[in-house]
Amino acid sequence: MNIYKHIKFASLFAVGAALTACGAGGENQGLEYAPNMYHSVAYEPLKQITDESAGNMAELLDSNGDNHGEYYNSNPLNPYRMTMRVPPANVVPRSDKGYLPYRIPKDSLDLAARTLKSPLPKTDDVLAGGKLLYDRYCDHCHGGSGQADGPVADKYPGVANLTGAAYQNISEGHIFHVITWGKGLMQPHGSQVKPEDRWKIARYVKKLQNQ
Amino acid sequence: MTPNKLLTRVFLAFTLASSLLLFHNSQAQEAAQQDTTVTEGSNDEQPAAQGADSGLPTDADRISEGQSLFNANCKTCHKVKEKLVGPALQGVYDRAPSIDWIVDFVHNSSKVIASGDDYANNLYQEYNQTQMTAFPTLSKDQIINILGYIKQEAEKAPEVVAPTEGAGTAVQGAGDGVPTEYLNAIMIGLVIVLVLILVVLILITTVLRKYLNQQKDLDEEDREIVNASFRLDAALKSKPFLFLVVFITTAIVFKVVINNLYAVGVQQGYAPKQPIAFSHKLHAGENDIDCNYCHTGVRISKNANIPSPNICMNCHSMIKNVAGQSGVSPEIQKIYDAIENDRPIEWVRIHNLPDLAYFNHSQHVEVGGIECQTCHGEVQEMEVVRQHSLLTMGWCIDCHRKTDVNTKGNEYYDNLVELHEEQSNEALKVEDIGGLECSKCHY
Repeated sequence: MNIYKHIKFASLFAVGAALTACGAGGENQGLEYAPNMYHSVAYEPLKQITDESAGNMAELLDSNGDNHGEYYNSNPLNPYRMTMRVPPANVVPRSDKGYLPYRIPKDSLDLAARTLKSPLPKTDDVLAGGKLLYDRYCDHCHGGSGQADGPVADKYPGVANLTGAAYQNISEGHIFHVITWGKGLMQPHGSQVKPEDRWKIARYVKKLQNQ
Repeated sequence: MTPNKLLTRVFLAFTLASSLLLFHNSQAQEAAQQDTTVTEGSNDEQPAAQGADSGLPTDADRISEGQSLFNANCKTCHKVKEKLVGPALQGVYDRAPSIDWIVDFVHNSSKVIASGDDYANNLYQEYNQTQMTAFPTLSKDQIINILGYIKQEAEKAPEVVAPTEGAGTAVQGAGDGVPTEYLNAIMIGLVIVLVLILVVLILITTVLRKYLNQQKDLDEEDREIVNASFRLDAALKSKPFLFLVVFITTAIVFKVVINNLYAVGVQQGYAPKQPIAFSHKLHAGENDIDCNYCHTGVRISKNANIPSPNICMNCHSMIKNVAGQSGVSPEIQKIYDAIENDRPIEWVRIHNLPDLAYFNHSQHVEVGGIECQTCHGEVQEMEVVRQHSLLTMGWCIDCHRKTDVNTKGNEYYDNLVELHEEQSNEALKVEDIGGLECSKCHY
């Protein structure tokens, strides 16, 4: 009887000890219970499972003869078996407002500054939106007041003081062009900031300069 | 064995611009290296030939005016001792043809270049035909003040870097060392005190026993109690002790089992090592770079997006190492390698929501106005990002029950709010607009 009791205790301990391995932390992703519906069958962006044996056990329940585990999710036709497809050559994105990609080349700043006009109305909404976007995309270098006093400006050389005399008279088109292509040491931000948002930022920068 | 230890990998697609960027950057680097040597050389070659600097101001007022003008107008492209976009300005008052020439050039450089001036044209070619911005508003006096400031700066001994570096490490050392040392000292002190108390107690009992044994008027029972020795085996076999042991062990085992069963399928605390030791603490914390700057999809898409290397290069084209260290950091070098080889950086995905649940970032961040930190924790303080929240269904539902819908200034909700107020006194919550509907997240 006594031995039986001890075994019961010991098994309880064993179960407890075994279960401590279930929680996630550090490199350990933790235990998943029956994750059959956890992994997408369709290709998902920002997600890829390159291990062909992943989900072999689940495959036993639902054998479809594709010769790899149920969770395997990579596209062998793409470079590096990425699930995300690089767009074909010469296609251009078009925004919901109908903006086509900006076509004035980088070295034609003067042309852009002279000819481009902001398509946005002169409303407070645009200005408020511009401030939000400025704080997201410009603030850490150019500073909240535009005087190149953001925290990154200490480390990154050549951050422009937007309120300086040289920039007082630039047009919104000039600012739009510079955000898109960069200027001097500033790198292009066209891939991050949508055209409409660039116009909003340009409007807000003009307001900063006139304060 | 269950097939669950999967590392799902995040892949980045490169934007088409990355190759363009790389080309531009490598060119700029080369140019920078060449030009620093050129400017250094030219300082030696042209010793104060014109003697034009004799007219530069030395009084503090004019120099401080020059300093503020320099910071407001010139700093963007020029440094005093290093080449930036434009040449290093130290000695410009000696090497340029004349002070008047400098004034003309600052007022309108393209006019000077067009006039066929040799010096201006050489400069123009040397800097890849980059034209200096015209500053027609600066007066001659102001420009001379700026030159005065430059001259004063140029003559200063280069001593600025060392003290800040020392201070930085000192602060760091203090931040790490002091609390743990204190903690250890306190612990050791406590142990010593406890041992002392134990010794004192033992001393007291022996003294008491001796004293009681010397007393003649103790009866038998009391004498027994005084001389009773503590028997370990009897105590271990006593019923109350056994009950206590069994009770405590069962309670602990029960708690461990329950806790761990609840942890099945929950990845809270998962903090995998990433291919690049990227620190959110440094980027989003110290440098205060907005989350949206890199995670560009968070307001327009289901996914917040992992930035492609061209976004890294917005800063890391120039910033090649942690502040105060020279050379290229091996971690930053990994970005350059990825771009050169056109190879994606395989970040390890941390938040793995099961495919059976739908989640949309823009819906929560842009429409709902929820802060990133609400779900992801204080990422700006994390050296290595870990999963902060449970990401269980109960966790989602809990928030949907508690959170008010921001209906202000949104006509869409006007009718709904009216109908809701007829039935309830409470504010409109997410659950009232279908936040608990199964098919909102599961379909």
